[in-house]
Amino acid sequence: MAFTSLSFLILVAITVVVYYVFPKKLQWAVLLAASLAFYCIGGGKTVLYVFYTATTVYAAGLLLGYFNGKKDQVPKEQRKAVMEQYKKYRQLVVLFTCLANFVLLYILKYWNFTAELFQPLVDRFFHGAQIPLSSLLLPLGVSFFMFQSVGYVIDVYRGKYPPERNYLKLLLYVCFFPQMVQGPISRFHELAPQLYAQRKLDYTNLKYGIQLAMWGYFKKIVIADRAAVVVNTVMDNPWSYSGSMIAFGVLFYCIQLYGDFSGGIDITRGVARLFGIDLAENFQRPLFSVSLADFWRRWHITLGAWMRDYLFYPLALSKPFGKLGKITRKKIGGKLGKIIPTSLATFIIYFVIGIWHGANCRYIAFGFWNGSIITMSLLLEGKYSAIKKKLHINDKAAWFRAFQIMRTCFIVFLGRYITRAPRFLTAIWMIKETFLHPVLPNLWDGTILTLGLGIMDYVVILLSVMVMLAAEWYQEKHGVIREALEKQGFLVQWLAILIPLLVLLCFGILRSDTISSEFIYKQF
Amino acid sequence: MDSKKWIITFFATIVFIGAGIIGFNFFVDPYGVFDNIGIEWPSYEMTMNPRAAKITYLKDHHEEYDSYIIGCSSTSSFPTEQLNEYFDASFYNMIMYGADTLDTEQTARYLIENYEVKNLIINIYLDNAVEYDWTRDSLSYQMSPEVSGENPLGFYSKYLFLDPRVSLKKIKDLRQDTYLQQGFDVFNAETGAYDKKVRDAEHIGNMEEYLAAYPAFVNYPTVEKSIDEEAVAGTLKSIAAIRDLCEQKGIRFMVVCAPVYQEYLSYFDWDAVEDFYTRLASVTPYWDFSMSSVSCEPRYFYDETHFRNCVGKMALARIAGDDSVYIPEDFGVYVTPDNAEEHFREAKQAVALDAEENTADVPVLMYHHIDEQGDDSAIITPELFEQQIAALKEAGYTAVMPDDLLAYVNEGAELPDKPVVITFDDGYLSNYEYAYPILKQYGMCATIFVIGSTVGNTEHYKDTEYPITPHFSFEQAQEMIDSGVISIQSHTYDMHQWADYESGRARQNILRWEDESEEDYRKALTEDCEKERQAILDNTTESSVHVLAYPGGANDILAQETLQENGFDVTFTITPGCNTLVRGIPQSLIGMKRYNICESVSVDQVLEWVSAARG
Repeated sequence: MAFTSLSFLILVAITVVVYYVFPKKLQWAVLLAASLAFYCIGGGKTVLYVFYTATTVYAAGLLLGYFNGKKDQVPKEQRKAVMEQYKKYRQLVVLFTCLANFVLLYILKYWNFTAELFQPLVDRFFHGAQIPLSSLLLPLGVSFFMFQSVGYVIDVYRGKYPPERNYLKLLLYVCFFPQMVQGPISRFHELAPQLYAQRKLDYTNLKYGIQLAMWGYFKKIVIADRAAVVVNTVMDNPWSYSGSMIAFGVLFYCIQLYGDFSGGIDITRGVARLFGIDLAENFQRPLFSVSLADFWRRWHITLGAWMRDYLFYPLALSKPFGKLGKITRKKIGGKLGKIIPTSLATFIIYFVIGIWHGANCRYIAFGFWNGSIITMSLLLEGKYSAIKKKLHINDKAAWFRAFQIMRTCFIVFLGRYITRAPRFLTAIWMIKETFLHPVLPNLWDGTILTLGLGIMDYVVILLSVMVMLAAEWYQEKHGVIREALEKQGFLVQWLAILIPLLVLLCFGILRSDTISSEFIYKQF
Repeated sequence: MDSKKWIITFFATIVFIGAGIIGFNFFVDPYGVFDNIGIEWPSYEMTMNPRAAKITYLKDHHEEYDSYIIGCSSTSSFPTEQLNEYFDASFYNMIMYGADTLDTEQTARYLIENYEVKNLIINIYLDNAVEYDWTRDSLSYQMSPEVSGENPLGFYSKYLFLDPRVSLKKIKDLRQDTYLQQGFDVFNAETGAYDKKVRDAEHIGNMEEYLAAYPAFVNYPTVEKSIDEEAVAGTLKSIAAIRDLCEQKGIRFMVVCAPVYQEYLSYFDWDAVEDFYTRLASVTPYWDFSMSSVSCEPRYFYDETHFRNCVGKMALARIAGDDSVYIPEDFGVYVTPDNAEEHFREAKQAVALDAEENTADVPVLMYHHIDEQGDDSAIITPELFEQQIAALKEAGYTAVMPDDLLAYVNEGAELPDKPVVITFDDGYLSNYEYAYPILKQYGMCATIFVIGSTVGNTEHYKDTEYPITPHFSFEQAQEMIDSGVISIQSHTYDMHQWADYESGRARQNILRWEDESEEDYRKALTEDCEKERQAILDNTTESSVHVLAYPGGANDILAQETLQENGFDVTFTITPGCNTLVRGIPQSLIGMKRYNICESVSVDQVLEWVSAARG
């Protein structure tokens, strides 16, 4: 069920009404019912995977709770010893839960990719053998709900909070419907209390929810869906376009991706807000990032945070990395020796983030690209500072910030070649074409009007992107826009309702496709 | 404003805008998906979405029909007129552009379950083996939820939340509507078929001219399609389902396979094509027109894929066994599992008919007045006229009448070896005094196009004092008709007026006055046709008046179409040149060219013209 479908809006509307009419004690059950309905309509039988994950993490939570509870039964001074005693069991529970979920995730999402990758090898050594392929349907939002659920188990293991004992409540945490499609990946201690809370109707929540969702729809249907036309045209057949047109296509892909993803998240957060729930922010104006690392702190924040908390720290603080640190400090010494283990862990994280995006060589390359650049900048940080000092560059100068932002945008832009090209090698070819055979006149000789969009569409995209950037710039500089808006008079506030609605209607919702009679009729 | 007020304002604004848009779209309904409320314009709505708009149309009109022919755009070329005649039924043409067989099956099921159906014909085109259950997002291709069984909420919301500019365009187009179809109203709502008035009023003849006018036949667009096993299986399944349903309900069921243009076919793998058609025979026997000599003749096609209505007529005549209609011998075979293999082996070899076999070059000579004093525009001396006729006779030419041409084109009758058509415009007395005896003497014949209002005017133009070149009377006309030498046909009753001699506004030719409404014009022309016909038939024994020479040669599509509607199936211009008649294509008899003969045209020149006509 797409966010842009009428049925989604109807589901949300019904759920909101029922939610506030229902007895407060059971409000969370309304959310659960809506979530299951949403998943069943959108994912059909794959809802079983949701139950599977919920069941594994529920059981794991109870077990961990049981072991954690042991320490409360003994005097304070013995607690450490008791924890130590059960550490193995607790670790086993976590390991088992991770395996139960990630192995399934692997089979669902990555098996066919690896099977195809290794088939040539099998052909060579076991003649005629065929690695069986999986024909399982990929469940909706599987990466999101599994990561979110496993995070819960690790937190319970760490004793951050007690486990949830009501299975249905935990199930709601696993499958809360607004975030099923594209996240964000929430944390149990932040989301769960909000999900289970009892609420009175609060008009401010409704208002903020609607405003945020409308902003999201604007980015999604007015900007992203329009930009997608150009992207699909160019990327379906990049070989027929010059370097500048390929770059144009990739630029539109950047616009599409940001509009679609951040717009989707805004819709998600807006819808959650209707129920008084504040979901974690997933984007913080990534276009204003000053470095690639900064970009990843502002883009898909909850994924980065998950990786940091549940992968980076455990990895960086693990014994093998401790040992590695000792060796590098001894052998290489200095600052470099100190940061090598951190850099390695960083590299691994970005590599995993790359693979998280999908089963394809392109994503592996994408992980490699991000990991390498961020690691390199970590390793070369000292040198940079020295150069900057020498050139008397003021870090805080506006022009330097602008330079940094543009540099980051360029690196991100290049990275997008890799993720959107039909194949990895095509991406390399596309980058080469962009710089070696750009054929710049294509940008103004009318070629861009053959990519599926008319002049009006380009004007709409241009103006919309400018509005989006202006809004983000305002947020970056001054903070929340709606507070400024609330201070205005009725007319301005009403226009702030009317104009967005009209924009959404005219440039997104209302359909105007008419068939060319030339095509159907050929002048009989 | 506080949050509560904001929410109320927000929803009030949505309701206000939404109601406006929904109301407007519902009322104007450009795609014809809502019941017949508001602005009704079925031919426009069918153009926008034939699937839904026809279902809407039939809700009010189903009682007028008892039989249906269903399929993709080629279905349109099976004229309901002939279907009604041959099947003694009242057919509706359910052509839906781009229809796959699932669309056809769903539509057939809907019609059978909801309305009276006596005959059901399904047209299968090669593309039905390429795509099945072809989902297209465009609003022009959506099937009514009543037919498809899909969620009506999703369907209607698409049309309610339509860009109001689309609805607005319908209102604008309504003001631009003309009698002849334009891009926005290509359907004829009453028959359900495409309205082909314009293309069927164009002259067709010479192959080179046709290819120059429609270059797609020369530079044929590459076809990137192939037979798809799933599509074949789907089509066969759907046909079987319709067959069973018809059997169960006692409905006469028939499948026809539309002609496919040869070059289009050549892009497909022949074995797969043959396999598809052969397997279709095992589901139901059917009339196959897909591949034959017709497929190899561009003039039988409107464009690179759509065959002409006249070809559809031939196909239906073949099915009905109507011997009076010309049909190429290899066109149309009833295919059963027994003869399928043999039929397609032959069909594969199909080639265009020899020009000798289905075309004839016919020169037409145009005379006006004969007088001792000839001129170099419209008058010839009796001596020269006689010399010319004698020379033609000598050279072996046989004069033929327009009826002979009609018989050649429509019935496949033969023409003499060297045919020539001799015509006289205006009906001058000199035709009677000089031409008639000479023609009689040489055993030739001719057609005289008389202006009804001036027949018998020997001294004055109508009832004025203006002198006029004398015109013969109906008695004289009768004498000529009796001889069999002359046929009297139309030069309009009174649409060849002399502006200077008319008190009111003159009609110098049959074209519409610029400031005249189409309706008034068509009424005027129709009345003139009736008067002319009445005058000739009442005053002579001429069997029928169906041939017309345009006054001054002036003609356009609207005039030609109106004439056709009034039963004029042969028309002449004054454009010099030869005519190529094509068997099976009545359009080769309209707007025919003529060589103007006067005193300055030598005998040799006439002989050269008529022989050039023979290639």
